Formats: sequence, C-alpha cells, structure tokens
Amino acid sequence: MRRRGRGIACMWYPIGFTVSANPSAATVKVNEDGTATLLTGTVETGQGSLTVLGQIAAEALGIATEDVHVVSADTDATPMDTGAIASRTTYVTGNAVKLAGERARAILFEAAAPMLGVKPEQLEARDRKIQVRGFPQRSVPIGEAARHALVGKGEPPIGTASFNPPTVAMDPETGQGKPFATYVYATQIAEVEVDDETGEVEVLRIVAAHDCGTPINPMLVEGQVEGGIAMGLGFALQEEILFDAAGRQINPNLTNYIMPTSLDMPEIEVDIVPSYDPTGPFGAKGVGEPTSVPTAAAIANAIYDAVGVRMTALPMTAERVLAAIKAKRAADAPRLAAD
Amino acid sequence: MTPLRITVNGREHVLPAPPETTLLALLREHLGLTGAKLGCDVGDCGACTVLVDGLAVNACLMLAAQADGRSVLTIEGLATPDALHPIQQAFERHAALQCGFCGPGVILSAKALLDANPAPTAAEIREALAGNLCRCTGYAKMITAVHAAAQALHGATDERSPRATPVPRLPLPGGGTGGPR
Ligand code: FES
Ligand code: FES
Repeated sequence: MRRRGRGIACMWYPIGFTVSANPSAATVKVNEDGTATLLTGTVETGQGSLTVLGQIAAEALGIATEDVHVVSADTDATPMDTGAIASRTTYVTGNAVKLAGERARAILFEAAAPMLGVKPEQLEARDRKIQVRGFPQRSVPIGEAARHALVGKGEPPIGTASFNPPTVAMDPETGQGKPFATYVYATQIAEVEVDDETGEVEVLRIVAAHDCGTPINPMLVEGQVEGGIAMGLGFALQEEILFDAAGRQINPNLTNYIMPTSLDMPEIEVDIVPSYDPTGPFGAKGVGEPTSVPTAAAIANAIYDAVGVRMTALPMTAERVLAAIKAKRAADAPRLAAD
Repeated sequence: MTPLRITVNGREHVLPAPPETTLLALLREHLGLTGAKLGCDVGDCGACTVLVDGLAVNACLMLAAQADGRSVLTIEGLATPDALHPIQQAFERHAALQCGFCGPGVILSAKALLDANPAPTAAEIREALAGNLCRCTGYAKMITAVHAAAQALHGATDERSPRATPVPRLPLPGGGTGGPR
C-alpha cells in the first residue's frame, strides 16, 4: 500500500571560508559613453553570478545592467578572486564589486559637482545620470561626467576594491568566535509516498523557503534552489558511489550511478523569504550550496511520517526502506501478540 | 571507404568515414559541429541528442553509416542568423539552463516532442526529456520553457500549469529512473 507522509527540515549555512582569508577584488571602469566595464576574477558556471555582479555594479553606478560589460576569470587580466565556492560569490565578490563601483562613482561626483554648481555630497547616480539629490532635473549624463573626469580633471573614473569577510578566530578554550561574516537559513518540506510492500519512495512535492538576503535576481535564486533540490533528492534516494574491496568504483556509469531525471523530480515551490543583510551588497547574502542541505533530511522525516521507520543511511533506496519496514514489523510483532 | 551522403542542417555533405565512426564523431570531428556534446559515449546522458529525420537519437550510439541518406538536425541548425529558435528563446527567457552542457540535447528533445505534439502536458514534457540528464537545474524551468515554446510555436495552451501536480509517472522500475535514456 502506498502511504503518504510529510517531513520538514531546517538548516543554517555559512557564507565564505571558516575564519581563513577568502578575499575577492574587482575593478569598475566607467566609460565615456556611459557604459561600464567590470573586471572580476570569479568564474561563471551557469549559476548566473556574472549577471548578479553586473547588476550590483549597475546599481552602484545608477546605470542599467546591460550597460555593464563583465570581463571575468582571466587570471592574466582580472583581479584576484578566491573562487566560485563556499556560496560566497554574491556576498564576497558582490561586496568588492559594490565598493569598486562606489569608488568610481565618487570620482564621477567630484567631476560633476562643479558642472552642476553643488558639492559632491549632494549628488546621486540614477537613471544613467549624475544628478542633484532632490533636484533630478539638475543633472549630467554619466558618460559626460566620465569624460569630464578623464579629460577635464585628469582623473579617470576607475574604482578598484577588495573585500575579505570579517571573522574572529574561534578560541580553542572557550569555543567562542565569529567564524563567518554571515549565515543563510532555509526550511524545506517534503511530501512523499512510500510503497510499504516494495520500499519505493516517490517524492511528490517539495516546498523550499530560503533566506538569501536580498534576492538580487529572484529567477536565478529559484534556479539555484530547484537545482539544489534535485541534488538533494539524488543524495536522499538514488546517488551512491560503490566500491569493490580493491577500492575500484563498481558503478562508474550513469546507468548504475543513478541521478534524478525529469521523471523523478517532484513539484517544487520556491519561497524566497524577504530579508536584508546590512553587511551584504544591497542586502544580499548567498544561496548556492544551502539549497541541497535540508532536502534529504526533509525526505527522511517524510518517510518516517509515512511508514514509521527512521532511515539512518543514505541513499534511502527501496531495498533499505523495505528492510527497515520489515525490521519494524518484526520488532512490533511480539508486542502485538502480547497485547 | 564508401563515402556517406548526409544532409546536416540543410546542407548535403558527401564524406568518407571509417565504418566505426559514430554519428557524434562525424558531427564533432569531421564537420566541426561541437554543439552536440560528448557526455558519456554510451547512451546514458542524452548530451549528444540530435534529430535524424525528425526523431531524437543519441548520436553516440548511432553509426554515421546508419545516417547515410538521411537528414540530421543539430543545435547549430536551429537558430537563423537573425533570431534564436522559439524553443531557444523560451529557454533563455526562463533561465532554463545553467551550465548549458545538457542544453543542445534537451532543446532537440523538446523540438522532437513539439513537432509531434504541439500542446504537450507537463507529464508528456517530463517523459520527452527523461533521457536528457541535467546536473544543474532540477528540470523545473526547462518544463516551463517547453510549455512557453509550445505556446509561441503553436499558440497551444494547456489548461494545466507547467508544474501541474501530481505528475503521473512511467510504470518503470525505480519510479522512472533508468527510463528511456
Ligand atoms: S554522449 Fe551520447 S548519451 Fe551520453
Ligand atoms: S544546465 Fe548544467 S547539466 Fe543541464
């Protein structure tokens, strides 16, 4: 009989390295046509980080994302980045990009202030213009400010900055410290059906609520969460590297190392929790790895809810679940007889 | 070696190839069309999917000689110089791909589906993509994108949402895994 159950799991996850340095640097150059060039050492692997970093640079300069040309991951030419790891790119590299953009913007404000007859502190960058705060009609196009900074003042509008998350090493005596600059939080709920005659588990639905700070690009956040759930589901039910006694992998193909297909994926609902981290770029934190952290635990709890067995090994294959169900029946049987 | 006569992306090629040459090797190494990816080379992953006479095949499993006299469509033949194909546009708009390695295969599987079935249900889309493994996306946005492409191509509207629930599963051992790859 197929039995239905629901399970819930929560997690927190840190952004960046544990105490050790993991800096990122960035350079933002504002061009005389009003576009900007962003140099970053980080690498795009499809998660959309270059889009997000372009958005952060654009926001700092008051221009559109498509005005930002991103040059990335060429170690001959781009500044240092620790890497697309530790769920750190939006937070750490994003902070470096924001600071670099703000430094370039400060040079534009210095150049535009005499053009507009105000002090640099009275200016803001918006809608591709440098304008007087509260008097948006008093403005110069950003490209013109860039040209004046370059040929008028002799100070090209280029900003370079780096960011290394501030941490405090753990005290070995007390265990106290601040190993990470920020953390993200999530809850996932799984609804499953377990066949108590075969042990087969089908995940019907997963609802995932994630706090990633400001979602700079909500569609990309959803993509990360959905992908993470697919990995978490494989981890929970299917994926396992098997070795023989000599340490050789005995399932090196995708027909015997089983990962989820489109037929295995449940309905997924992504809920991005409204949140703002004042230490992140425009309030952002991160979302990468945390997305697959609670999935297997939520599924395990749902299996318990459905058939009353606590699975303590992954993946929770049909064989293992059925063995657990049989063991539970055997353990329950004498009690039933005694009743 | 008898030369093979194969039409690829509308252009006829006559070329000699050793008998053991797979269609994938012919496309990638002889014709320089590297859009179809070499993932596993044994028919497990779908990254090499191309259309042969309109049907989706794993090009790593097909000998080039088996495609003699037939017409092959690869991802390179889908867009025009002016515009991406509507399926590609839908994948772009919905951010349906991440690293993109599975993309050429997924998009051609989607094209084979939409050519045969202009208004597929979510379950039919899942089934059509079941032979294309993706490590990045969880498939959700792909399914949405195939729905959007169906509407763009055929004005097809499916009452059910792309995430219609519960999704029926193929009666396969393992609940679908190890399905039609
Ligand atoms: S390369 Fe052909 S199926 Fe993997
Ligand atoms: S997008 Fe990376 S494998 Fe599908």
